[in-house]
Amino acid sequence: MERREFLKLGLKITGVIAGGSILSVVALPEKEARALVDMETYDGSPYNPHYCMVIRQNHCVDCELCKEACVKTNSVPDYGYRTTILEKRLKDPEGREFSSFLPVLCNHCMNPPCVRVCPTKATIKDEKTGIVIMIDHKCIGCKTCMAACPYNARYFNEEKRAIDKCNFCLDTRLSKGKKTTACAEACPANVRVFGDLADRKSEVWKLTHEPDKAIWVLRPETGAKPVIFYRND
Amino acid sequence: MSKMKIVLCLLSMFFFMAVPVMGQDDEGEDYPQEPIIFTKPVKAVIFSHKTHVEDNGLDCDSCHDEPFEMAAGTAEENDDFNMEALYEGNYCGQCHDGETAFASNKRCTLCHIGVKGYNRLQGSTAPEKEKKGH
Repeated sequence: MERREFLKLGLKITGVIAGGSILSVVALPEKEARALVDMETYDGSPYNPHYCMVIRQNHCVDCELCKEACVKTNSVPDYGYRTTILEKRLKDPEGREFSSFLPVLCNHCMNPPCVRVCPTKATIKDEKTGIVIMIDHKCIGCKTCMAACPYNARYFNEEKRAIDKCNFCLDTRLSKGKKTTACAEACPANVRVFGDLADRKSEVWKLTHEPDKAIWVLRPETGAKPVIFYRND
Repeated sequence: MSKMKIVLCLLSMFFFMAVPVMGQDDEGEDYPQEPIIFTKPVKAVIFSHKTHVEDNGLDCDSCHDEPFEMAAGTAEENDDFNMEALYEGNYCGQCHDGETAFASNKRCTLCHIGVKGYNRLQGSTAPEKEKKGH
């Protein structure tokens, strides 16, 4: 009987934790409680503007207008992609199937594994904006960067004879004075919010620094320190 | 042998009891058995008559001809057939208001099946264009 009581007690405690009131039970430092990603580690980055994207994941309905806009803007062939939507099939409590959609693209990492492995320095981090860019004529097509990328964000473009990837529309839009990427502009649900993380008045800064909203990144364990941030509302 | 008779008797009882139950479906009002798929203004949204009639007990009058005309695809042609209209209580929003049924701004992907859901329903056998690995 004692053992049973003990287990019951354990259930009660874990129940409280699962209910989301862990903060009131265990005193966590505010920083840890606030976010899965410590946004403070992004402070003082050398980039200005420091372009990033916040993805409000649970608002994505896979209409794929972002993909269409990207393909059109950046001449992406049908055998590759610069951005895509991943899908996970789930069941609600009543057993009805539904999907969870996850937009993915190059994470423009602070410590990009692709840049580190490139033997010809054909892919670099833009000194001004932090965008991971390609210098096509330097690419020898060895695909080492493709293997190194934790996000599967690169493909070999047959026409360019070089690796192609998302560059936040740097050449096609940003350099022409446009303020946002083609995918962010095309999104009807405002899932993709593009902006400058170095600007504390920007929407991306605000979205990533709300005290009660968890922010996460994909594959944080790689240490690549991505700047595509995910959150739900 | 008597056991066999009993078993047969029971089986036939079940059979005759089952018939009227099965017959009820035929007496109900007709509605499309296949889901309605909206592709405008975004691809794609699924609507199941079966779920709304059988699981939630609605009848034709509940939604026809207000807010939806009988002819499938009529609402899609309207410029205001969008989420904003739903939030204002039009179209699906007449019931999906958070009280009668779950709110229009909740559980997005229960109705929004996306391009992937659309392709799945079309039975698209075309190979995935996206590369799955390196």
